[in-house]
Amino acid sequence: MSEGTDESLYLPDFCTSRAALANVLIVELTALILTLAHENVGVGFWTDLSRTSLFLLWIGLAGAGLLCWMRVPLSRLQVAKGSAAVLLLIALLIAAISAAAYYLGRSSLVQDAGAGILFPPDLHGFLIRNVAIGLVVTSLALRYFYVTHEWRRNIEMQATARVHALQARIRPHFLFNSMNTIASLTRSNPALAEEAVQDLADLFRANLSDKRDTITFEQEYEVARTYQRIEELRLGSRLRVDWKIDSLPRKALVPGLMLQPLLENAIYHGIEPQPGGGTVTVTGEISGNLITIVVRNPVGNYENEREGNRLALANIRERLGLLYGERGLVKSGRFDNEFIVTLRFPHVEKLNAT
Amino acid sequence: MRPRVLIVDDEAPARERLRSLLTELDQVDVIGEAVTGEEAVMRAAELAPDVVLLDVRMPGIDGIEAAKHLNALEQPPAVIFTTAFDEYAMKAFDAQAVGYLLKPIRKEKLAAALTHASRLTRPLLQKIAETRSHIAVRYREGLRLIPLEEVQFFFAEQKYTTVKHLKGEDLIEDSLRSLEDEFGSAFVRVHRNALVSVRYLEGIERNSDGQYFVRLRGCEAPLQVSRRMASELRERFRI
Repeated sequence: MSEGTDESLYLPDFCTSRAALANVLIVELTALILTLAHENVGVGFWTDLSRTSLFLLWIGLAGAGLLCWMRVPLSRLQVAKGSAAVLLLIALLIAAISAAAYYLGRSSLVQDAGAGILFPPDLHGFLIRNVAIGLVVTSLALRYFYVTHEWRRNIEMQATARVHALQARIRPHFLFNSMNTIASLTRSNPALAEEAVQDLADLFRANLSDKRDTITFEQEYEVARTYQRIEELRLGSRLRVDWKIDSLPRKALVPGLMLQPLLENAIYHGIEPQPGGGTVTVTGEISGNLITIVVRNPVGNYENEREGNRLALANIRERLGLLYGERGLVKSGRFDNEFIVTLRFPHVEKLNAT
Repeated sequence: MRPRVLIVDDEAPARERLRSLLTELDQVDVIGEAVTGEEAVMRAAELAPDVVLLDVRMPGIDGIEAAKHLNALEQPPAVIFTTAFDEYAMKAFDAQAVGYLLKPIRKEKLAAALTHASRLTRPLLQKIAETRSHIAVRYREGLRLIPLEEVQFFFAEQKYTTVKHLKGEDLIEDSLRSLEDEFGSAFVRVHRNALVSVRYLEGIERNSDGQYFVRLRGCEAPLQVSRRMASELRERFRI
């Protein structure tokens, strides 16, 4: 499906075999309904079904061909106009084919074979009924195509939004400030600048890496420390991070990239707005089969009303949910003068990717 | 005489870089540095710089509010904002055509900004950001900032406005009208001449003459309330 036509045209491409199959299915079901509703005047059920199917298949296939052929001009129309155009086309097509069937029934070829009974006796009623039935069925089909199209588009949009959310994990604010720090260090302390560039590269590599669902805690800790080192260059003694993670097994599997965004949040909201800085405390514990990681940062009087970035938390919540189902838990909230985020998830040696 | 410049940024590497760029440019004299918005205002009041290079995002009083206070100085300096990335501020600056420098700052751009540095007008600044979080009080020896949450009320007398706060009272130049416009959500006009902090509202009294007074937490003297406001206050704050 080419882009740009998406907006207006919700019809499937009738030239594809999938759509052709769906088309035949719709036609056969319609034929079945019509035959069941019919009183089988003059002929038996199967004969009736066969002739109705044959007739409807002609209409169905010709209709598909027509829509396939008209696809480009139709796609330029808005939804309402496009739908009206499709209905009109189908109505004309049905009228034409009905008329053809009627005159075929009148022809000497059919009459001589004694098959006249299979054909409609009068043109007018036949034409009007067919067009009416055709319009009803086509409307239903259009509605179905429209709903599935909207549904698919919705899912695509959600996926795109999620990708964007993931890409927004590192704040531009952090990136440009780090660049500025490095620009400064390049003059005053080239060795430190070199280290900062390496740290930044590592951090971005970790952020851009494929979604490895879980990594060892050791790796996760390293990413967060890398981030901390860069922020320390900038914030100096204002930033203190207290790691209380000794009891956590270094080889435990944890969801990748959750500590760094949490630390980033804590620094952005809790440390940077304080003139005197503050301490972020990270505790990691394991009890029984559960790993608990808690990140806390001070909340000061200076509520500069920074635009809350709930993205990171929402993202972590979602990933924990995907990985551990109901056994993964994220809690966050303000308690007195602290903002506390708690993650809890099972300690698993080897996880089956979900 | 060469322009005298004050550098304001909460991050040491950022200040360092600006200083070394300015040294290389050799067209101005750096006369000082400040690491917060408050300090910037104090230092500027004390040193009277010609130009202030002002970081937008700082703890406490941010750059935009600091600029407003700088503007209230006897000799307001020209302000050049610097920012790494602050969508909100950048949008506001763009909207009002206020120049700013993006970090990491390029030397040429810094030189150009210094050449064209000019004062921001007060109305222009007012358009840029939301309300101030502090009230600036001018003294002979400088300037002091009173946090808005410590202000109990503003009182207008002839030409001046008195601000009564937890640590005493001072004269300021803002009119009651402009204060009301700016802080309308946290303050309420109880009388023609008084604007009271909602935070300190305690109760309403009526004396034997039938006049209404408002009682404020931590305030001895009651403030007169107009009759119309008395009932409105009662209803709004359930006092």
